[in-house]
Amino acid sequence: MNIVITPAMIGQVIISGILSGVLYSMVALGLALIFGVMRIINVAHGPLLMLGAYTTFFLYSAFGLNPYLTVPISMAVLFVAGVVLERTLVFRVVDAPELSSLLLTFGISIALVNGAQLAFTSDLRAVEYITGSWVLGPFAFSKSRVIAFVFAGFLTGGAFLFLRSTRLGKAIRATSQSREVAMVCGIDVGKIHRLTFGLASALAAAGGALISVIVAIQPEMGQIWTFKSFLVIVLGGAGNYPGALLGGMLLGLIEQLASLFLTTQLSEVVAYVLLVLVLLVRPTGLLGGRQT
Amino acid sequence: MKRPAILAVVLTVLGVFCASLAADAQGPIRIGASLSLTGTYAKPGKYQHEGYQFCQKELNAKGGLLGRKVEFVIYDDQSMPPTGVRLYEKLITEDKVDVVMGPYSSPITEAVANVTEKYKKVMVSPLAATTSIFKKGRKYMFMVISPAEVYLEGLVDTAARRGLKTVAIVNEDTLFSKAAAAGAADLAKKKGMQIVLTEAYPKGNTDFSALLTKIKAANPDVIAAATYFDDAVALTRQMRELNVNPKMYGVTVGGDLPEFYDLLKGNAEYIYGATQWEADLKYPGNKEWFEAYKAEFKREPVYHSAAGYAGCLIYAEGVKRAGSLDSDKVRDALLKLEIRTMFGDYKVDQDGFQTAHKMVTFQWQKEKKVIVWPDDLAQGKVLFPTPPWSGR
Repeated sequence: MNIVITPAMIGQVIISGILSGVLYSMVALGLALIFGVMRIINVAHGPLLMLGAYTTFFLYSAFGLNPYLTVPISMAVLFVAGVVLERTLVFRVVDAPELSSLLLTFGISIALVNGAQLAFTSDLRAVEYITGSWVLGPFAFSKSRVIAFVFAGFLTGGAFLFLRSTRLGKAIRATSQSREVAMVCGIDVGKIHRLTFGLASALAAAGGALISVIVAIQPEMGQIWTFKSFLVIVLGGAGNYPGALLGGMLLGLIEQLASLFLTTQLSEVVAYVLLVLVLLVRPTGLLGGRQT
Repeated sequence: MKRPAILAVVLTVLGVFCASLAADAQGPIRIGASLSLTGTYAKPGKYQHEGYQFCQKELNAKGGLLGRKVEFVIYDDQSMPPTGVRLYEKLITEDKVDVVMGPYSSPITEAVANVTEKYKKVMVSPLAATTSIFKKGRKYMFMVISPAEVYLEGLVDTAARRGLKTVAIVNEDTLFSKAAAAGAADLAKKKGMQIVLTEAYPKGNTDFSALLTKIKAANPDVIAAATYFDDAVALTRQMRELNVNPKMYGVTVGGDLPEFYDLLKGNAEYIYGATQWEADLKYPGNKEWFEAYKAEFKREPVYHSAAGYAGCLIYAEGVKRAGSLDSDKVRDALLKLEIRTMFGDYKVDQDGFQTAHKMVTFQWQKEKKVIVWPDDLAQGKVLFPTPPWSGR
């Protein structure tokens, strides 16, 4: 088994890494937002992504909607779901010890996954909308992944613009820097929390909607995204929003390159070993934690 | 109440009591089993349950077994091995069932085997495909379906006969898939084929770009993929995207489900898959059984139903030949038994390990699974070689 790795192969793999990396960044940004603003590690982030994927699937299969048109609908639906979750449950653990928030979101996660299994069954579903790829020289660009890349790029960029330039975005960043000072400045922190949770859920939903066009979906698809997002934000620096972007790209590239040079099995190991190394050398993540 | 009346009542009660005692001696043969009626395996578990129920009905319609009615006592193990262990212990010691049948899946069978062996109960296990379960010196276990190792046999054999020389083998990194990949590798070597790449990928993997890039560079004639369902779908889609185009490409589990075609549509064409049983295989009584099952349960059976039913039949045949329910006598009968049911052939070695049942290999052709291997069961010819993706 001697396969010579050519530059074209490396190029192909880097393309794949970047295409999935942006998706990781977008989904992880949601987790980073919640952690930054509320200091909560939302274990239910992946299952929320799964709900977004199902929203797209049902809109596509029941009404024949173009799955890419359903992205904003999925986002809106999950935004509302996120706000409701925050208003009813999550706000109770904002100032509680970290274990409480972990337990609560873990509970929500289990409820969502099992609820989905009951409601949607465990059958695999797929949005078979666009397959094949565009070929450019020696490289193939998977159509569904390129479109997901474009969407994720725009949405992530939009989220950054929102955080940077709008009043609400600034209020979110202010709350994330110091809740007390934000409160003193007249920011309705409760409202900011709801908004953040809704926004984060919407980003997860966008991820789910885009993923549903790439791979088949099932109720347990979300958990792996919780882990990946967690990996991404710790790599980049928990609570650091540009860090989530960097971490996502990094994870995408590491996974693909490790699969190419080592084996697919080892790619996850490499990602987690890197995580340990980063934590040893820079405990606050590559870009440092919680600075915005 | 006058005295004679009381006497009459007492006598009547006694009479009824004695009659029921007599009936008890002639009472039903109770067959205990735990099945995965809820939890991860609920779907196949329920099909197996229907197989058992249907077997009970048909046996009783034909006068039962050893002149007694047959009655299944079934509990739900929630797809969990420890629960299965507890339930088999309860079935044997508290419910005192006469005999037992196997649960669903390899992990649960492996766990409960320790209980059934302890009480020297014969257990025909219709839905355990892991070889090691039957190779641990257990005495009373009997296998019905083909082991994981032979799932890709048809693909490799067909490829070798067509003169193909190189094969890439990939598998999910779990017990069953590993065994299926190892079996394919052994067979390929035996047939003189060269294995240009083997690689495992973790469960839940959805991005195969790097793996497929390597495979493309290795340019094998055949890709043998020991998959479950979602990975089979993802792998196929990405093969198209990256234009990986071997002369033959086959998967293991999942490829036989109608959903496989529903999800992949035209991209599923030409793909090979393996299955334990199909409704239109020409086994004795298969067609009639299929229709009767459909009428009974208002849905079409899958191989889990067929295996459950056949396992029950095989056990019943063993009992008939032994002429008793005695574990050792039934064991001897089952070891000697050679039978062809609607599920295919049954014959085991001294460990109760299945040696006769054939996996069949099919190819998706025009939205249908056409059985192409082995020759004596084939319904059509292979479409060979697989055309480029643009031509499908």
